[in-house]
Amino acid sequence: MARRYDSKIAKVSKVVHNYQYDITFQVAQLYSRLKAWAPHCILCFYTYNSLSGRLYQIEYAMEAISHAGTVLGVLAKDGVVLAAEKKVTGKLLDLSGAKAGGYGGSGEKIFLLNSNMIGGVAGLTADANSLVNYARSAAQRHLLAYNDDIPVELLAQKLCDLKQGYTQFGGLRPFGVSILYAGYDPHYEFQLYHSDPSGNYSGWKATCIGANNGTAQSLLKQEYKDDIVVKDAIGLVLRTMSKTMDSTTLSSEKLEFAVLTLDEATKTPKAKIYRPAEIDALLQTEGLIKKDDDAEMKST
Amino acid sequence: MNTFVNQFSTHSAVSQLKRAQNLIAADEDEYSDATWGSQAGFGNMIKGTPNFTVPAVPDPAAFLRLHTDDHADPNCRIKIQHGTTTLAFRFQGGVIVAVDSRATAGSYIASGTVKKVIEINPYLLGTMAGGAADCQFWETYLGMHCRLHELRNRERISVSAASKYLSNLVYSYKGMGLSMGTMICGWDKTGPAVFYVDSDGTRLKGDLFSVGSGSTFAYGVLDQGYRWDLTDEEAQELGRRSIFAAGHRDAFSGNTCNLYHVKEDGWKFIGNYDVSTMYYDGPGDVPGAPGGGYGYAIRTEGRSAADPPASS
Amino acid sequence: METSFALTGKGYVIVAADTTSARSIVKMKNDEDKIKTVSPHLLMSYSGEPGDTVQFAEYIERNLRLYQIRNLYPLRPSAAASWIRRSLAESLRSRSPYSVNLLVGGYDTSTHEPKLYWIDYLGTVSEVPFAAHGYGSYFVLSLLDRYHDPEAPLEEGLATLKRCIQEVSKRLIVSPEKYKVKVVDKDGVREVEL
Repeated sequence: MARRYDSKIAKVSKVVHNYQYDITFQVAQLYSRLKAWAPHCILCFYTYNSLSGRLYQIEYAMEAISHAGTVLGVLAKDGVVLAAEKKVTGKLLDLSGAKAGGYGGSGEKIFLLNSNMIGGVAGLTADANSLVNYARSAAQRHLLAYNDDIPVELLAQKLCDLKQGYTQFGGLRPFGVSILYAGYDPHYEFQLYHSDPSGNYSGWKATCIGANNGTAQSLLKQEYKDDIVVKDAIGLVLRTMSKTMDSTTLSSEKLEFAVLTLDEATKTPKAKIYRPAEIDALLQTEGLIKKDDDAEMKST
Repeated sequence: MNTFVNQFSTHSAVSQLKRAQNLIAADEDEYSDATWGSQAGFGNMIKGTPNFTVPAVPDPAAFLRLHTDDHADPNCRIKIQHGTTTLAFRFQGGVIVAVDSRATAGSYIASGTVKKVIEINPYLLGTMAGGAADCQFWETYLGMHCRLHELRNRERISVSAASKYLSNLVYSYKGMGLSMGTMICGWDKTGPAVFYVDSDGTRLKGDLFSVGSGSTFAYGVLDQGYRWDLTDEEAQELGRRSIFAAGHRDAFSGNTCNLYHVKEDGWKFIGNYDVSTMYYDGPGDVPGAPGGGYGYAIRTEGRSAADPPASS
Repeated sequence: METSFALTGKGYVIVAADTTSARSIVKMKNDEDKIKTVSPHLLMSYSGEPGDTVQFAEYIERNLRLYQIRNLYPLRPSAAASWIRRSLAESLRSRSPYSVNLLVGGYDTSTHEPKLYWIDYLGTVSEVPFAAHGYGSYFVLSLLDRYHDPEAPLEEGLATLKRCIQEVSKRLIVSPEKYKVKVVDKDGVREVEL
């Protein structure tokens, strides 16, 4: 069938030597070839509406995220606390390089998005890296234009605009990532947002994404108090984390942790992403190192 | 030697000396003092139009412009000192004269310790703005004639007459490149007096003048603080502060401020004040100074326009 | 000659601009408002090349409004000033640059601070306690160095402004006869009569 079409074009182009005409035919040719050789290809366009109006791709992505490492955020009066569970994929994984994170933390789950904002990601790591990169660029663009840190909600919005775009057009796959944004801006001061693969976002006092998020959220709902301070929020986050995480161990090996507060002297946001040693020290002071005895036993 | 040769040679020692004398002395020195009385003050006009000693080029004004006009040619040989702030004002207690001490040549600060007040005689001061050499030369020259006036008339020249003499003199050179803006200040029979004279030939009597690139800045402070019934201390402070304001805002003025006060018994030098020191610490322990630096940042230190609600 | 002043005080910014609109040697209009309210707590006075001024001011006004509609809250004065500066700087490097000098005065409702920015057509921005554009600035800056008080109440601030206007009328050859004066504080923007 395609062949017949080809010969037809050859005939026509012999008669007419007009560029526009040729181009029109080339497009027609391409389309017809596609149709002739791969009629099933129409079906492989990723996001599409089912008859019930649901976007299955999005739902699959969100389902995948609910199995990813937990990320938990609590908004306090004087700061925001973020913690994330690292899924250690195996004993042979070499983490010696990852431990020395540039600005603190190993940079797997918790990222510094801007000087006033931390992001915690759950889902496809590769997709998340791409989004983090986008967020950092967007924040810097804002800084360039306005000489001012990007407002927290605005950055969340910008990422959501991007995410939404991938749910609307054919041939694209949505980002398989949910993000928690902890940030500060002078408009609404401390804020905590959550965004999902569909491009929806919402503000929270305390929330959780990833594995066991339902359990964690009901725990948070019980324990959260409106005028909680960072010091107590840290405890709340770690306790909730220890209860929801699959493994019984709670250590820097499986945990990332960050706190956003205001610097007392300068009144500017201060994002602190804990280093592994700092996390262990924190767990110690919070009395949450369960496997201390085991570790000792191993060493002896 | 041969007088004929001496008279017409252009190289002999005698003719060189003669030319040098001509350069130094102005035209009327060729006439005896007797001419003054007999010609009712118009002695210098006796031989018709006055003539001047000018550079030996076909068009002296064009020659000067060629070598000094720094707008047309920034690489010109002679850069005339233009940036300055000078001020003088009359008040109940006499005349205050205050000037800065910066000399600039183009963008180069040639000196920071220039005397811009010329002490013509114990009762007369002249300020210097524009071409430094022009002002220095002609005001010194004016001083000479003021002294001659005293000798001839057995009384001091009035400020009005002295300024008029200078005004007429610079006017006769109009268009030849003189650049001066000066205030002739003093005390005479009429009391304190200030006259503004410039090289255009303008001569103005007034209470308060400021001249130079920094004059607008000086005016801003001077006008707002000026009253006729200022005390001596207040007046000195106002003069100092106005020069400070100009020295601070105008790039071509600054370094230090020289302050004079003219009273009935003649002028008195009050002091020399560093503009930077005035910014941070004030003029020091002088009457009239409020204490503390004049600088905006110093004056308003610790004061904030922020207006947070009382509760937080 | 076009002249504009602005000064901060305890919790407010006063912005004043002359009201003449001149073409060649002719005063075409003597009640022109050259201070735009570009945001609920932001004033912008503009002067410079006729034509450019209003075009640019309206461009700024509409874009700041767009930001407010999109984000529900307006840009803070510092961010607005930075954005305006950038717009001017980008325009300067285009084929037809705007020749506009601005004074941007605003009240930052989140920090309770009055803010004032001096911006020139080259895209220079500087945050200042008081500012002036035009020939008037030569007389008024030293005056404000001497008399401005960041903690002055509004009446005192207006009195200082009157000093400025009086000084310019006294010393500037072709001084403006009328000024429009606007104040921005925690309650927003309002016009005041001197």
